[in-house]
Amino acid sequence: MPLSSHIGSQLVDLCSALLLLTCFAIVAQRRLSACVDLFALQSAFLALTAALVAFLTGHHHIYIAAALTGAIKVIAIPRVLKKVIERLNVKRELVMNVNVPAGLLICGALVMLAFFITQPIIPLGFLLTRDSLAIALAIVLIGFFTMIARQKAVTQLVGFLVMENGLFLGATAATYGMPLIVELGVFFDVLIAALIAGIYTNRLQDAFDSVDTTHLTVLKE
Amino acid sequence: MVLPLYPRQPDTQRLAASICASVAAGAGIALGLLGLTAPEPVAFSISSTAPLLVFAIRIDPLSAFFVLTISLVGLAAAIYAVGYVRHFQGGTSIAALGSLANGFLLSMTLVVLADNGLFFLMVWELMSLASYFLVVTEHEKTDVRYAGFFYLAMTHIGTAFIALAYLILFQSAGSFSFEAFRHPERAVPEEIRTLIFLAALIGFGTKAGIVPLHVWLPYAHPAAPSHISALMSGVMIKTAIYALIRIYFDFLGGQFPWWWGFLVLLAGALSAILGVMYALMEHDLKRLLAFHSVENIGIILLSIGAGMIFQTYGLKEFAALGLLAGLYHTINHAMFKTLLFLGAGSLLYAAHTRNMEEYGGLLRRMPWTGLFFLIGAVSISALPPTNGFVSEWLIFQTLFLSVQLPDLLLKLMLPIAAAILALTGVLALACFAKAFGISFLALPRSAHARHAEEVPAAMKIGMGIPALLCIGLGLAPMAAIPLLDRITEPLTGVSIAGKVLALDGWALAPVNMEFSSLSPSMLAAMLILTGLLGLALAFLFGGRLAKRYYKTWGCGMNLSPRMEYTATGFVQPIKRVFSTIYQPTVKLETEFLQESRYFAKQRKFELHIEPVFEKHLYDPAVRVFLKIADRLRLLQAGSLHLYLAYIFVTLAVLLLFAV
Repeated sequence: MPLSSHIGSQLVDLCSALLLLTCFAIVAQRRLSACVDLFALQSAFLALTAALVAFLTGHHHIYIAAALTGAIKVIAIPRVLKKVIERLNVKRELVMNVNVPAGLLICGALVMLAFFITQPIIPLGFLLTRDSLAIALAIVLIGFFTMIARQKAVTQLVGFLVMENGLFLGATAATYGMPLIVELGVFFDVLIAALIAGIYTNRLQDAFDSVDTTHLTVLKE
Repeated sequence: MVLPLYPRQPDTQRLAASICASVAAGAGIALGLLGLTAPEPVAFSISSTAPLLVFAIRIDPLSAFFVLTISLVGLAAAIYAVGYVRHFQGGTSIAALGSLANGFLLSMTLVVLADNGLFFLMVWELMSLASYFLVVTEHEKTDVRYAGFFYLAMTHIGTAFIALAYLILFQSAGSFSFEAFRHPERAVPEEIRTLIFLAALIGFGTKAGIVPLHVWLPYAHPAAPSHISALMSGVMIKTAIYALIRIYFDFLGGQFPWWWGFLVLLAGALSAILGVMYALMEHDLKRLLAFHSVENIGIILLSIGAGMIFQTYGLKEFAALGLLAGLYHTINHAMFKTLLFLGAGSLLYAAHTRNMEEYGGLLRRMPWTGLFFLIGAVSISALPPTNGFVSEWLIFQTLFLSVQLPDLLLKLMLPIAAAILALTGVLALACFAKAFGISFLALPRSAHARHAEEVPAAMKIGMGIPALLCIGLGLAPMAAIPLLDRITEPLTGVSIAGKVLALDGWALAPVNMEFSSLSPSMLAAMLILTGLLGLALAFLFGGRLAKRYYKTWGCGMNLSPRMEYTATGFVQPIKRVFSTIYQPTVKLETEFLQESRYFAKQRKFELHIEPVFEKHLYDPAVRVFLKIADRLRLLQAGSLHLYLAYIFVTLAVLLLFAV
């Protein structure tokens, strides 16, 4: 039993690490459709992690959450985003607030920050997923950073979704997932948020002939 | 108690709103009377999913009394609205006006019934918002929007302090229920109690309109439709009185240092005198009435403050008397102020202006309105045989009883307060001599006044109800005082009804028969008898009556409205006497004939009263606030990324701190 638990813990850590890796890939990627693909990949890893946790702990409701992650974040949302990208004909992020190498460095710093913060908490935990907490926090921070660093509304949305993935991982890591009803509510919220952001992007395009959110500064009085 | 309004027709909407409100008010009156006579407080509650929030309601005599007052005024206003609201038809949504007015009534009722601090704050806010939307009914006018904004800002400052008071109470009680406030788990330290006292005084004082927190009142009350003004002035500001009594006597157990009572007394005296002085200079009838609300709240607080001082020194009977007189004046003011605001509404309805200088001669055209307004005016001026007289007499007696206080300073100060009250009464009389005389007597001063017609029956009934109550409460204090005594008994621990009502209720005495006593009903009978006697004497000894109808003699000239006293002219002497307070600025422009400087072609006279509090207290505060806001504007760059970065940096820093 201790051995299998040890291996389980290692597997969960591996999956979490893969999630983090995709984050870095998103930060480094300029092409929008590739960003969306990476997000889908990240969500797939997340679903895998959740399924793994469900298998190892026997909490069956996490399977449902994993399935929903697969359906919504791997298939539905990327499809919506691809459509938006296609319609708006924006392929690349040309101007960035922070360039790619600097962005990667900052992300590295954020990961360190996340580990530093969670250091005093993790030894107190007794769940086999406890190490993922630091990674989850790092993903949230990187997602947030993506929202700040990028100017196109689509990538900002990807940043937001990455944050959400991080939160989901965090919830799974800290407490083996939230109650199913909360989980369902969150999924619904994310779906709605993606749809609204899609519409918002379209309107932005109509109003400014661009999906660059820096144009929003003119709305200030 | 409130039904949303579905009918499409404005006429039906108007009726439906008023019928719902009247039925609800009827139920409220019954509830109030039942609650006042019930032996035990009735409570009931619905729990909610939100933590700490319980929709709890409790009817003890104090709540019941306020429910009764609110319902009486609500009934009058609802009936009045049937006729009055007609003149808003066309521009304004009648359904919105009606349902807001009913919602306003409901929220006020809930404020005085609430038995949970959080629930109280909720309905209090609901009441403020409902009244705000009612104030801006005529939102197309700039000054109405300004009034509304001013009101909203002030009421939120007030709510902040109220919330502070309740949160402190919560801290020490460990629960939001009023029962826990009454009996906190651990004794509350003196400084904390002082903090609660001050926060409540400022917070509720803003709503009640004590000087210098009254500035919103003369803007907001006139801007609302008149029946709403009646509700706001008549009862809404009284909910603050309710809350003060509830907190001071009920939650804090009536144990306080002497200076608390003295502060309340001082605020009351200041409000009373300044309220009436500014009212006197006002020629917009509804603004004048709004200033009188400041005055009367002052009078009520004067009485309650005196009661608090007596409570401190353990003179329980006198404390009860002060509280009783204050509550009596509360319901009396609710009645006559409602009556007067409805009367002002009728004048506005008939003459389409609030400016008194354009009225005149309306008594002949609108005899019923005139009669009702006169009753209200007599009542607010505290003349017998009306209710205002009885309660103010009791307040005077309470203040005079201060000779029994051990503290010399207070022994001196309370009679000074009585003197201020006397001055207030005199000025109020002058003010209403002006208001009634200029509006109703002599010749019409404008085309509007010439074409005024009597108002519809519903409005007459709406005014008739408070008018009857004004006289009823004045003639029959023996019916009212035992009921009021039921409120003050649990708060002060003594019952004084038997001592206040001497000679089987035919006479009033301030606890002690030897001190002084008075019989309002006898006084009224005497008044009538004297009048009859005079007539009889004239009939017996006077000459033969010869009737001759002719114009008033005008030294051989034809009389015109231009010869009449203007409202401004009428109060000129008083303005001179108190010029240090008013700081008037007069602008006189004269245009002379070209031929000679001895003949003026046209004269233009402008008179402004300095709004002292706005200029020296509020304007600087607002300026500082705006300056800070301007500085802070740098933060608001309009960039989404920057905003996100703010949040991000805050998050990162907080996380680092948390480690």
